[in-house]
Amino acid sequence: MDTAVDTHTDNLRDTLWRPLAGASRGYALALAVTFLLGAWGLACWGYQIVRGIGVAGIRRPTMWGLYLVNFVFWIGISHAGTLISAILRLTDAGWRKPVTRIAEAITVFALMIGAMFPIIHLGRPLVFFWLIPYPNSRLLWPNFRSPLLWDLTAILTYLSGSIIYLYLPLIPDLAELAQHANGWRGRLYRLLSIGWTGSDRQWHALERAMHRMAGMILAVAVSVHTVVAWDFAMAVAPLWHSTIFGPYFVAGAIFSGIAALLVAMAIIRRLLHLEAYVLPVHFDNLGKLLFLMSLLWFYFTVSENLTTWYGNSPAEMNVFGSRVRGPFAPYFWVMIFCNFVLPFLLLSSRRMRSVRNVTIAGVTVLIGMWLERYLIILPTLSYPRLAAATGFYKPTWVEVSITVSTFAAMAMFYLIFCKLFPAIAVWEYKHGSHR
Amino acid sequence: MVLTADFGDPQSVASAIQALKARGYRADEIDVFSTAPVELAEALLERPSRMSLVAVTSAVVFCLSAIAFVHYTQHDYPIVTGGMPIFSWWSTGVIFYEFTMFGSISATFVMFLIESGLLKRRRSLPAPLLEEGRIYLRLFCEAGDAVPAAECLYEAGALKVDEAEVRG
Repeated sequence: MDTAVDTHTDNLRDTLWRPLAGASRGYALALAVTFLLGAWGLACWGYQIVRGIGVAGIRRPTMWGLYLVNFVFWIGISHAGTLISAILRLTDAGWRKPVTRIAEAITVFALMIGAMFPIIHLGRPLVFFWLIPYPNSRLLWPNFRSPLLWDLTAILTYLSGSIIYLYLPLIPDLAELAQHANGWRGRLYRLLSIGWTGSDRQWHALERAMHRMAGMILAVAVSVHTVVAWDFAMAVAPLWHSTIFGPYFVAGAIFSGIAALLVAMAIIRRLLHLEAYVLPVHFDNLGKLLFLMSLLWFYFTVSENLTTWYGNSPAEMNVFGSRVRGPFAPYFWVMIFCNFVLPFLLLSSRRMRSVRNVTIAGVTVLIGMWLERYLIILPTLSYPRLAAATGFYKPTWVEVSITVSTFAAMAMFYLIFCKLFPAIAVWEYKHGSHR
Repeated sequence: MVLTADFGDPQSVASAIQALKARGYRADEIDVFSTAPVELAEALLERPSRMSLVAVTSAVVFCLSAIAFVHYTQHDYPIVTGGMPIFSWWSTGVIFYEFTMFGSISATFVMFLIESGLLKRRRSLPAPLLEEGRIYLRLFCEAGDAVPAAECLYEAGALKVDEAEVRG
């Protein structure tokens, strides 16, 4: 497999550091648009806080709506980075170099966005800190037996681990940037590089820490999405109370994570002119992984639905029927098309796995996985065990605005990140030059 | 006294380290600087590490602390929910697991800072300004040994050797 690029260090630095300097008109426009959309989302959230949670479309019996869909979706996307990067680092996959930092940054931003949604969903978001266990005048402690607390601890552990995992391999690049940058950038890089000198002690410590972190972060990443799955599986609700929900969610999260990584890679490759580093072979390899996860996801989906259909329990069949031939059927079949049919057509043959096709598959999988999260949450709540309680959920403009703004926020964070830090680790490319 | 030798390739650095060790210098008196990791034979510059041990110890401490804390809080305000016992391993196992992993992750980060020397930098020590493709070897030695040590470095292939006094 040819992953050779021009690793002549001056060229390498020039190419990979070029995006850090200046800002094109297109960049400024993209930043302004994403900022405005993000600000609009914040304004909508402010409106919801002032007017109350009633401005969202959640009503009995569908007490969870788009906010929880987005929560599960973004936590899934967060598996793009740290998990994939950790797998590639542990297996010492040589082609990982241009992929890992792009992936690790996705994790941190997606987690930050995803973790906001349970707070947005709260009726009284200003007292969300009551979830944190501290001695207080109410003489109350949070209930650690609640899956909500599982989420809090899992997400905080994953977020802190992911930030460290992103930061550690950034340090050598920051130290090198500090030598060449002036003004506020120079001060920022010097501060963040914490006195890195490039001694062998530091390189040894970095490599040891990264290897251990990769192992630990894998275990945490799997636990995080399992815990999110258990938020549903612990409820004795039709089609939620399932033993395979943990692995089903983890597989779905890795699936959507790889899709997000592919889309981010395609955009960064084009915008930052990194065609010499982010090569077709990287898309081909990740395309194969995406195809594998598509098959795995389809296997889980068939298992879940076949056992439900064969069991023929009335409550479960109500939900099942609403998905495959009822009001949710259009979403269901679009999901199958996006997550299985199209990826199968585009990714199963090597001839078809071009950069463009793999990116298209990535975009459709993201749409399909968002719909999958929608279909997991809404049908079950719309068709509860008590038939008389049936209801239908329609999201309001507030929920749609906040949803759109989070995608804009993700893009904005990424634009800022790529302007401040190299999107590809320069030192990792140089690694091996002193052999 | 500090000698800083400039090398163009890792083989010369390896020869220099071997020669210095043969002259009685210890691994902790030698540092190698570069803009990318230099791959030397593992035994050449041994850097003992307690990172794994501390990470495991920290994981155990965080796990036990989490168990104690959750046990205390659940009994401090006992309330039955979902028919579950006040304290149950099943319903709190996830919390203990996450705290265990958090302990391990944070200890690894702290150990990285300690073992890399980033927490106790001696500002008086001259760290070479790194140039691309160059490898620098820094040696701490007595003032009287500076000349023979520099000769040893030149023999191994050093392009240039600078001397500096250690202040403070």
